[in-house]
Amino acid sequence: MFITFAFVTLLGALGMLLQKNVIVAGLCMVATFFGVAGLFLLLANPVAAALQIIVYTGAIMVLVLFVIMMLNSHEEEAAQTARPVQRWVSVALVAALAFGAVKLVLTSAGLKALAVSGEPMPGAMTLQKVGTTLFAEHLLGFEVAGILLLAAMVGAVALTKRNL
Amino acid sequence: MTGMDAILNGGLQGYLVVALLLFAIGLATVLLRRTLLMQFMGVELMLNAANVALLAFARFRGGDAQATVFYLFIIAVAACEAAIGLALVIGLYRHRGTTDSDRAAGLKQ
Repeated sequence: MFITFAFVTLLGALGMLLQKNVIVAGLCMVATFFGVAGLFLLLANPVAAALQIIVYTGAIMVLVLFVIMMLNSHEEEAAQTARPVQRWVSVALVAALAFGAVKLVLTSAGLKALAVSGEPMPGAMTLQKVGTTLFAEHLLGFEVAGILLLAAMVGAVALTKRNL
Repeated sequence: MTGMDAILNGGLQGYLVVALLLFAIGLATVLLRRTLLMQFMGVELMLNAANVALLAFARFRGGDAQATVFYLFIIAVAACEAAIGLALVIGLYRHRGTTDSDRAAGLKQ
């Protein structure tokens, strides 16, 4: 199961990177988000999986697809100036970063110890546990997040409205 | 479960490798694609990679609810970022008729 969801996630992400059409890239992104939700389910966290599907695939990607269709820019425009050196340097840097980080994860003694002698696996995460923690210990953060969302909403309207 | 076995069967290292590769693909999208909307999707991908690593660590360190609460805060900030970022892209398109980040390099019109 893990390897299936990991493949869905990474293939969706690769498809997004390589796809020329922006709408198809957005749909590849939806596949990636579903794969990540599956990974969260395997981590015994159905709350996070549900939030992932509702917020990312349900809200953020729909917003992005709306904007893509509104702006009518389905294909990437031709490059104004070709920058082959910069592109190859960034490909090399990303490849080096990914290779080095994966190698570090696989050889890290601390992670190995954690994977072997980590805490015992508890039961699945429940909404009740999340809610209790949220309102008992992070009430201020919750309120600030609400204010932040309100400010973002007002800001988005102010930025897109032509004559306010 | 360590090494190759952990990667194939979903140990901690397997999740971390997926998160790292997801982050690398997101970074490559931001660096290589020029359409602002694609770069925006790359940023979302990197945020998601961080979430995968956070929840994987939380699960393998005893699985308390703190990480899920912080995941909730992270997606609240990501939703704000999506709304403001897309509003800025629309504003740029109205001003210059393009969503190409190379064509929007100057501050002056």
